[in-house]
Amino acid sequence: MNSRTYGQAAAPQGRWAGRSPNVDIGLLLIVGLLSIFGLAALYSASDGDSVLIQRQAAITGLGVVAMLVVAQLDLRLVQRFAPHIYLGGLALLALVLAFGVEANGARSWLDLPGLPSFQPSELMKFVVPGMLAAYLASQPLPPRFPRILVAGLLVLLPAGLIVLQNDLGTAMLVAMAGFFVLLLAGMSLRLIAFGGLLALLASPVWFLFYAQEHQKNRIRSFVDPYNDPAGAGYNIIQSQIAIGSGGVTGKGFGEGDQSRLDFIPESHTDFIFAVIAEEFGLAGALVLLGLFVLLLWRGLRIAVNAGDMFARLLAGGIVLIVFFNVYVNMAMVIGLLPVIGLPLPLISRGGTAIIAFFIGFGLLMSIEADSRKGSARNR
Amino acid sequence: MTSRWKFRDHEAEGRMFNRRVNLVLFFVFLMLATLVAKLVDLQVMQYEYFAARSDGNRLHVQYVPPERGVIYDRAGTLIADNTPVYNLTIVPEEVDDLEATLGYLAGFVSLEADDIETFEDQLRRSRVPYSSVPLRYVLTEEEKYRVAVNGHRLPGVRMEPQLMRHYPFADLTAHAVGYVSHINQQELDALDETEFENYGGTTHIGKTGVERTYEHLLHGQVGYETVEKNNRGRVTRVLERTEAIRGRDIVLHLDYQLQRAAEEALGDYRGAVVAIEPASGGILAMVSKPGFDPNLFVTGISNRDYGALVTDEINTPLFDRSTNPYPPGSTIKPVLGLAGLHFGHIDYQFTIMDPGWFRLPGVSYRWNNWTMRTAIGGGHGETDLRKAIYQSSDTFFYQLGHTMGIDQIHDFMSLFGFGDNLALDINYARTGVLPSRDWKMETRGEPWYPGDTINSSIGQGYMWATPLQLATAAAVIANEGRMVRPRMLKSVAGELWDFPEQHSVPDVLLEDPDYWRYMRDAMTMVVHRPYSNVFRDYGTAYEYTARADPDMNYLLAGKTGTAQVVGIDQSIRSSEDIRVSDLNKDHALFIAFAPAAHPVIAPQIALAVFVENGESGSAVAGPVAKRISDAWLLDILDLDLDVEPAVESSEAGRVGE
Repeated sequence: MNSRTYGQAAAPQGRWAGRSPNVDIGLLLIVGLLSIFGLAALYSASDGDSVLIQRQAAITGLGVVAMLVVAQLDLRLVQRFAPHIYLGGLALLALVLAFGVEANGARSWLDLPGLPSFQPSELMKFVVPGMLAAYLASQPLPPRFPRILVAGLLVLLPAGLIVLQNDLGTAMLVAMAGFFVLLLAGMSLRLIAFGGLLALLASPVWFLFYAQEHQKNRIRSFVDPYNDPAGAGYNIIQSQIAIGSGGVTGKGFGEGDQSRLDFIPESHTDFIFAVIAEEFGLAGALVLLGLFVLLLWRGLRIAVNAGDMFARLLAGGIVLIVFFNVYVNMAMVIGLLPVIGLPLPLISRGGTAIIAFFIGFGLLMSIEADSRKGSARNR
Repeated sequence: MTSRWKFRDHEAEGRMFNRRVNLVLFFVFLMLATLVAKLVDLQVMQYEYFAARSDGNRLHVQYVPPERGVIYDRAGTLIADNTPVYNLTIVPEEVDDLEATLGYLAGFVSLEADDIETFEDQLRRSRVPYSSVPLRYVLTEEEKYRVAVNGHRLPGVRMEPQLMRHYPFADLTAHAVGYVSHINQQELDALDETEFENYGGTTHIGKTGVERTYEHLLHGQVGYETVEKNNRGRVTRVLERTEAIRGRDIVLHLDYQLQRAAEEALGDYRGAVVAIEPASGGILAMVSKPGFDPNLFVTGISNRDYGALVTDEINTPLFDRSTNPYPPGSTIKPVLGLAGLHFGHIDYQFTIMDPGWFRLPGVSYRWNNWTMRTAIGGGHGETDLRKAIYQSSDTFFYQLGHTMGIDQIHDFMSLFGFGDNLALDINYARTGVLPSRDWKMETRGEPWYPGDTINSSIGQGYMWATPLQLATAAAVIANEGRMVRPRMLKSVAGELWDFPEQHSVPDVLLEDPDYWRYMRDAMTMVVHRPYSNVFRDYGTAYEYTARADPDMNYLLAGKTGTAQVVGIDQSIRSSEDIRVSDLNKDHALFIAFAPAAHPVIAPQIALAVFVENGESGSAVAGPVAKRISDAWLLDILDLDLDVEPAVESSEAGRVGE
C-alpha cells in the first residue's frame, strides 16, 4: 500500500489526473497578482523607467516559465538528486568565492561565460531545504541528535560560504530555510530553545568583537534613528516618513512624494514596500500582505496534504522561507527590525532572486501534483 | 523501500508535522500582528506627523530677491543699472575630483589665486548640501562658450545667471553714486527684524554714496516662492509664488555730462569739484579725482586690486575729496567781507593802507600777505573791500578779522553751513572745522588767542571746509542769502522728492540786501577786472579766465584760494631755500557762480573747485571752474546768454575802474 513507483504516472483517474500538466491554479493566481503588484510598484519607484520595467517583466515571464517547467518535474527525481544539486550549489558558491563579481558591497555574482550573470546564493534558499528534507526524510522522524548535527553542518556549510561573500542577509535566509525544515521535521523544542538562548547570549559578543562598523551602525540606528539622521538613520527615517505620510488610502499611484523625489533609499529593491505603503496607503499594504498570507496559506495546505515527509518538509521549508523573507523585509522597512539587505520577494527588482522564487513555487506545484497522484493511488 | 521504512510510523510523523505547522502558524500570526500594528501606528496614529514631515522634506519656501531700482541722472542717462551676467558655480557634491575639475577649468577660464581662495573659504563654511558655490563671477562671452562646450566633462559645474549691479561710467561716478557689494555680517546684524526678513534673498547692499543713502528706496520688497525639491536639493517645480516688488528707480540732480566735464577739467590733477544748482540745491556734479572702478566691488574685489587701491598713498583713489575738509584759504573771504558789512565794521567806503603785512598791536610777529611772496614786494596800497576781494588782500582781512573777533566770524560763517553738514542726503560728508573759543577749549584744551583769529581770517589755521561746503556757500551768495540745502536725489517715479527738512535752515538775512549785489560785483571782478595802468588793480583770476577767453559771453563770479598745505610752518613755507616737493605744494581752490548779474537769467550753477597741490587758485583752479561753468551754461543748458551781454560786462568793468 505504501510501496511507491517512481517516474511513471499512475492510471488516469479523476479530473486532474493523467497527462494534464501540473499547474496549481490558486498558486498561479496569487503569484501572478503579486508579480503585477510588483511591476506597478517598480514602475512608480523608477519614475516610469521603461527599460527597467521591460527587463523586470521579461524576468518575471522567464520565472513563470521556469516555474511551470519545474512543476512538471517528478518529485522523486528531485528527491533522488537533491544531494547532487546541493553539491553543485556548493561548487557554485566556491566558484563565486574564487571568481565572483562584487555589487553593492557583496561579492555574490557569478559571471560565467555564455550565461547571464547570476547569484548562486539566491538558489541556495531552496537547494538547502531540498537537501535537508531529503536527508531527514530518509530516516524516521523526529530526527535524533547526531542527525541534527549533520543537518546543521549541511546548513552551515553553504551559509558560511555566503557569509564569506559578505551577504549576511542571504546567508541568514539560507540558515533559516534549514532551520525551518528541522523545525517541521520535529527537532526537539528544548534544543531549539537552548540554541536560541545560546544565540541570544552570543549576540553581544558578536556585536562587540565581530560585527563590522556598518553592521553596528545599522543596529544603532535601529535603536535610535535620530542619533544620526543624515547618515546611518537616514534610510529608516525617510522610509517611515514615506509610509506614515501614505495614511490609510495612500497618495495615489505615481504620486508618492517621498519616492518621486528620491527621498526613499533603495526604492527599487530593499525599500520598495515603502513606495507601496506611501502610494497605496495602509489599504494597499494590507492587500499586499494579504496576498502573501494567501501564498503562505496555499503553500502550507500543499505541505500538509503532501504524500510523504520529504514533500511535506520541502513544501513547508519553501513556503516558510518565502514568508520569512517577506516578514523580515517589511519589518525592516517599517522599523521593526534593523536594516538587513533583503529584497521583498516578487516585488523588488531582481534577477536570480525572482527566478529562484518561481522555481520554489514550481516545486510547490510539483509537490501538489505528486500528492494528488499519491492520494489517487491511496484510494 | 528498505526494511527500515517498515518501522516508520507515518501517521505519527504526519501528526507531528501538523502540530509543528500549527506552532508555526501561531508564530506567523504573531509576526503578522506586529506588522499590522506597526503599520497602523505609522499610517493611522502618526499620519499627521509623518505627512508634515513629508511636506517638510519636499516643500521649501525660498526668497525671491527683488530687482534693485536703477539710478538715472537728471537727463535720464542710466548711471547705475542691472545687467545679466553669468557666474561659474560648482556643486561640490556632484564633483568627483574637485582638484582635477578646477585644473581643467583653469585651462579656459581665468581663475586667479584669489578666486580659488575665496571658493575654498566658502567650501569650508557650513552650507546647505547640494547648493552651488560661486567660483568666478562675470564670465566673458568666450569663457561662457568654452564652459558650455565642455559641459559634459564638467559634472557639478554650472553657469548661473544673475542680475548684477553695473556702473557704466565706472570711476566717474564712483564717489558720488557709490557702489553695492556683498552684505557682510555686520550689516546683517544692523538690520531690524523686518528688514532682516526683507533681505533674506539679497546678496548685495549699498555700501557708499547714493547706493547707501537710498538703500531703502532702491532695494525693494522681497518675494517668496514655495518650491518642491528632491533629495538632492534640486527644484522640481514651483508651487506658489509671491512676486518680489522691484526697488524704486531714482533720478538724481547729477548731470552725467557735467560730471564728465568736471572730471576732464581737472586734467591730470588730483582734486574735487562740487557743482550745485542754486535754485534747488541739487548737486549737478560731484567729482573726486582720481576715482576707482566701483564695478570691482560689486563682484568682490580681489585682494590684489584692493591692495593697489589702498596702498596708493599719493592718489588715494578711495578717498572722497569732495566731502572731506581742507583749508579753504581765501575762498572764504567773500563770506567774511559780508560779515564785516553786516556787523557794520566796514562799509563800501572803508579802506586800509595795505603794506603787505599785518602786525597785531604789541606783537612782534608779522603776518605776511603771503600769496605775494614771490612778487615784487609791497602791498596793495589803498584797499577797500572790493579790491580786497578781487586782489585777495590778506592784510585787509587780517585786520577785519581782528576787528570782528572769532565769535562773530563763527556765528556768521555758520549761517552758510561751515562747520556743519547741511546736505540733505550726503550724511557721510564731513563737517570740517569752523573754529570757536569753545571748540578750541574742547579739542585742544587751550584758550583762543588773537593770533588764531588772524589765521582764520584767511581760511587757514584751524579753519577747515569741504568742497561741498564751499559750493554751498557759493550757492547761498548766488541766491543772495536764500539757503538751499544740497541734495543728490531729484525725483522718484516722476515726482520731485520732498525733503521734509529742506527748509529747516534759515536764509541768510543781511542788514542791507545790497551787500549781496556788492559782493557779487566784487567776485565778478575777480574773473573779469582787466589789467590797467593802476598797480595791482586786476582780478586775480582774470589772466587765466576772462582774458584767456575773449569770447566769453557771460559773467562768472568767483573767488580764488591758495591754501597752505598743513604741517609746514608759514615761516619755512615762505623761505625760498626750501625745495618744496609736489606733495607740499599749496592746494588751489576756486568758488564761483554763473551767470552773475545777468538781467534775465538767475545763476544756474554754483561750484567749488579743489585742486590738490595745484599751487595756484588763480592759474589752476580758476580755469577749471570756468570750463565747468562753460560746459553747463553753454553746452548742456545751451542758454541764450547774449541778452545785452556787452552792457552788463562793461558795467561790471566800469564798476571796477
